[in-house]
Amino acid sequence: MSLMIKILFLAVSLSPALTLSTWGESLAWPLFGGIELLFDLNPISAFFLLLLALGAPLVALPMLRGAPDRPAYALYALLLLGMQLLLLAGDFIGFFVGWEIMTWSSYLLLLRSSRTDLEGAQSYILFNLASAFLLLAGILVFHSLTGDFRIQAIDQLGGPEPLALAVLFGLAFLIKVGTLPLHLWVPRAYDQAPDIFSAFLSALMSKMGVYGLILLATLFPEALSGLLGRLLNGPAAGYILAWIGVITSIVATFKAISQEDMKRLLAYSSIAQVGYITTAIGVGSSLAIGGALFQALVHTLVKLLLFITVAGIILQTGRRRFNDLGHLIDRMPISFLAVLIGIIGLAGMPPLPGFAAKYLIFVSLIDARWLLLLAAMLLSSTAAFIYCYKLIYAPFLGHANSPEAKTATEAPWPYLVPQVILMGLLVALGIFPGFGIQFLIDPVLTALGLAPIGAPSWGELATPYGGYDGVVLMTVFGTAFALVTGGFFLLRGRMRRAGSPYDLSYAGEVPTADTPLHYGAGMGRELRRIPLIGWILLHTTTGFLTGLTRQSLAAAGLLGGFYGRNPQTWILLAVLLFALALTLVTLTGGAL
Amino acid sequence: MLEFLDSPRVLHGIYILGSLTLFFIGLYGLLAKRHLLKALIGIAVMELSVYLLFIALATSPGETAPILADGLIDFTGMADPIPQALTLTAIVIGMAVLALGVSLAIQYHRLTGNSDMRAMTELKDS
Amino acid sequence: MAFQLTPVWFIALPLLVAFAAPLWVRLGLLMSMLFATPLVLFGLAVSLFPAVGDAPLLETIVIAPPLGIHLHLDSASLLMVALFNLAGVLFASFLWLGDTEPHLRGRGPFVLILLLITGCTGLVLTGDLFNLYVFLEIAGVSAYALSALRRDKTALEAGLKYLIIGSVAAIFILLAIVLLYLETGQLNLAALARDFGDIPAAMQGLIGLLLLVGLGVKAELFPFNVWVPDIYRGSDPAVTSLFSGILVKAFLFVLFHLVFLLLADPAVARAWLMALGALTMLVAELVALRQQDMRRMLAYSSLGQVGLITLALGFASEATTAGALFHMVNHTLVKMLLFFVAALMLRRFLSLRLADLRGVGHAMPVATALFVLGSLAVLGLPPLSGFVSKLCILKGFAEAQAFWPIALILLAALIEAGYYFRWIKVFYDSDPAAPQCRSDDGPAYLPLVLIAGLLLLLGVAPFLIEDWFVQAARALLGRGTILESVLGVQS
Repeated sequence: MSLMIKILFLAVSLSPALTLSTWGESLAWPLFGGIELLFDLNPISAFFLLLLALGAPLVALPMLRGAPDRPAYALYALLLLGMQLLLLAGDFIGFFVGWEIMTWSSYLLLLRSSRTDLEGAQSYILFNLASAFLLLAGILVFHSLTGDFRIQAIDQLGGPEPLALAVLFGLAFLIKVGTLPLHLWVPRAYDQAPDIFSAFLSALMSKMGVYGLILLATLFPEALSGLLGRLLNGPAAGYILAWIGVITSIVATFKAISQEDMKRLLAYSSIAQVGYITTAIGVGSSLAIGGALFQALVHTLVKLLLFITVAGIILQTGRRRFNDLGHLIDRMPISFLAVLIGIIGLAGMPPLPGFAAKYLIFVSLIDARWLLLLAAMLLSSTAAFIYCYKLIYAPFLGHANSPEAKTATEAPWPYLVPQVILMGLLVALGIFPGFGIQFLIDPVLTALGLAPIGAPSWGELATPYGGYDGVVLMTVFGTAFALVTGGFFLLRGRMRRAGSPYDLSYAGEVPTADTPLHYGAGMGRELRRIPLIGWILLHTTTGFLTGLTRQSLAAAGLLGGFYGRNPQTWILLAVLLFALALTLVTLTGGAL
Repeated sequence: MLEFLDSPRVLHGIYILGSLTLFFIGLYGLLAKRHLLKALIGIAVMELSVYLLFIALATSPGETAPILADGLIDFTGMADPIPQALTLTAIVIGMAVLALGVSLAIQYHRLTGNSDMRAMTELKDS
Repeated sequence: MAFQLTPVWFIALPLLVAFAAPLWVRLGLLMSMLFATPLVLFGLAVSLFPAVGDAPLLETIVIAPPLGIHLHLDSASLLMVALFNLAGVLFASFLWLGDTEPHLRGRGPFVLILLLITGCTGLVLTGDLFNLYVFLEIAGVSAYALSALRRDKTALEAGLKYLIIGSVAAIFILLAIVLLYLETGQLNLAALARDFGDIPAAMQGLIGLLLLVGLGVKAELFPFNVWVPDIYRGSDPAVTSLFSGILVKAFLFVLFHLVFLLLADPAVARAWLMALGALTMLVAELVALRQQDMRRMLAYSSLGQVGLITLALGFASEATTAGALFHMVNHTLVKMLLFFVAALMLRRFLSLRLADLRGVGHAMPVATALFVLGSLAVLGLPPLSGFVSKLCILKGFAEAQAFWPIALILLAALIEAGYYFRWIKVFYDSDPAAPQCRSDDGPAYLPLVLIAGLLLLLGVAPFLIEDWFVQAARALLGRGTILESVLGVQS
């Protein structure tokens, strides 16, 4: 019975792939009062559906472990349904329906974790519903402008309505991708969600916001240029969006460095990475959108890999803080390799495809002559190296800091299979960046009405500002890696004799209870001393939101005073109001 | 000397004044008295004032009762029968509500020993 | 056909069945009659629908209107009647299958429930102002008595409070009716509609305000709805589902029926009603944030929805009116579902306080899942029917370029999400102290699952009954049609 359910669940998780491969005609579903839901597959949605088709079974596989969790399976199926509706929708109502199904089913999945607290759950659902309601408001404005719900370009720009539309839609999608200062729900949710589900949240659901932002570009042709004119060599409205993205990524990067918890670090890194995508969409040129899509693809693969690996570590050790882990390299070698590949992709270093994505975005910034933005982005992507280092060092190197870390074994196979697949995909995409450009990115660009980037061969990435050959790059790096690793294993025995990792921290002193025995401990703490960064790290919008909650509760209490307990007060209130209204009516000459 | 009282305007004015006074007496009882039965009496008095207003204003001096009897088949000079019929119905309904109210009040008193409207705090819980 | 299918059966049948109660007790058929009567009437309503779509049905009693009294069955009132009887079926099946407490299963509640349905049906069917008052009191008295049914301190207190505030409201309405008759000499609604314009303006204002206060109390509009939370808190949750599901809807319908009928130009009252609706909605949703008892929370949520419906009906465009009628149906279904869940939880835990319900999701998984479904429907999240009706209302506003109601409705929905999801979160808290034994008593869930299925069906395929709402909206707004059909003249 439980095996049947598991097989069924796995089959359901393959449904996006099935949809993608067998989608034929467009479908229409009449809803109400002339509203018709249209479903169709276009190249843009096909790209995002591909991400979903890749990610869904890989996340489902680890969920199969243990006794079947039927409610979670059902909710996951609903979530996939919602996301497919969202992606296939050809009109805004269908889009909204999918968006909302995705929102509430993912919220209910979030509640399946025992770590979710009231604050985290509330911030998740309220931010996401606020996003949804802004979207709905935008849809209604759109409807009042065009008299239609179909997703299409707005013909006549001008007047305040298109701007209101852009702001409403923009805010809705920026909340979803977790842009500063609307990101508050992201770290909490990614942190508290069931470990495997965090992978889904970060890798796939944040991409739905990206999909929305790209749709926004289709609503306003010429990539937002029509709204506010142009600045330097790019659209001025996009300039604002690009800065929002860059500031998000800088702040989130520093936040990530100062985290003590693996999942929170990954959450902030996710915000930062999606910030790059936001920037690229703001630039809006063909190179930039190509870069954004490539980055979305890479980020999906990388975050799936990292979150699944981290989930495996947490499963085996029960620990999630860096200070409690360490020295897992011997016990969990595959996980180590997975994190290694993951952080190389995350940091955007060659030879993995993260480099290609960043390269495209940088080039597009140069092309738009937005050099200040380029500098800021370089800053954040360099700072990202630090948290990447923390991510590989703290759990895997050094020495084990908890009994669980000392006895852990490699993660079970449902966790390892997705890791291996994802590693393979990342390496393959690193070797063949041109393949990605030619078959995944260019169709989308054509559909958006932008010039395709093109690639001379599968292995090459080519832009007007130069490119590189992935095959050569991978060969060089692969050879170097093989040499270093081989040398390490050859010399390993002698190195171990030379000293134990414990020598590093004991160094002649007897450690006390509060001596950090771990290099990762307190890493990033010193960042607070740097003037601007310290200020940013100290200040959050939490206070504002707590204040807002307190104020609305106070208002609720005040208004609740109206609803007294004494019937005489009720009647007195009614009679007094009646007398007051009557006086008003009499004074204004009987007009109601 | 008091003929002017026969003119409908004056008579109706007096009726209006009277029923308004009754209405406010009832309202006063409802709002100012704490005893449950007094509040119910207040409601009854308010209802009564409305009936009175209806009957009084729908009739003019000199009209006869709208009963077809004793070979009387002419409608002239009769009061409008509808308000009287309606008032009868309304009195019956008011009676039923009052009876229910009083029975509930008595049960409440038996159960709690309380008949003070402002001291009804069983529902307080937040 | 000897047996005429006329609107009078909607009122006569439940009355006959109610007064034959001793017979049903003797035959042991009490619960099945309570179930069958609304079911038969619901079937009758559905079968009458095509006929009513062409022209309203008039059922004359003794003399033709405007002199005599008559029942007026058009698409709008038929929709309401069908809704009330559907709610009656659901309620009866919950009582029947749910093995509910004895005080809900005797002869008294049997008569009172049927009387409540009769009163509400009469309210929407009657074409005559004085009968309106009579039905209003029938519905009122049965509601007061139902509220006090449990005969313990809280129930009696709720019943008494309800009776006091309800009677005062009835006096206001009676006074308005008296003044209307004195001014026009008419009691027939259509005739009144014709003559209302001739009344002096000051008197119009007085009558309008009297009706507004009286019906405002009954239809739970802010600031006349201060009594609602106490009554909902004190009554049985199952009974409360009738108040929120049937009674309020009937009074809302009456309020707007009168407004649309009496005022030749509803724009006059639009500002007042929309403001009242918006206030009701926002205030209630805000206050609900702090509630610690499920019955009170549901009461405020119910008020919020009433405010939304008022806002949409007050706008008086065809799209928003159709949406509001649809929302009425949804809200009735949803609140019945939620109050039934509350009744089941109360029976199991003997308390409905938030703190006592921690972790209930593990003890009563089905009930909690149904609560979640109901909350999603109240919030108007797809794919449940609440979404479609809300969308219809919002679309109506957007087409008329009125954006402030949209903003307010969405804001209110967000606040509403704030408390509903807080409850859901607490329900699913993992609490070691919570009783771990899972027991969901099967048959009691049948009506609940049926409601859930209906919500889903209407959410996915609302086009099935779209015609009903559009026709009902036209009928409700079509003042000319009513005047013509009753008086036979073009107004």
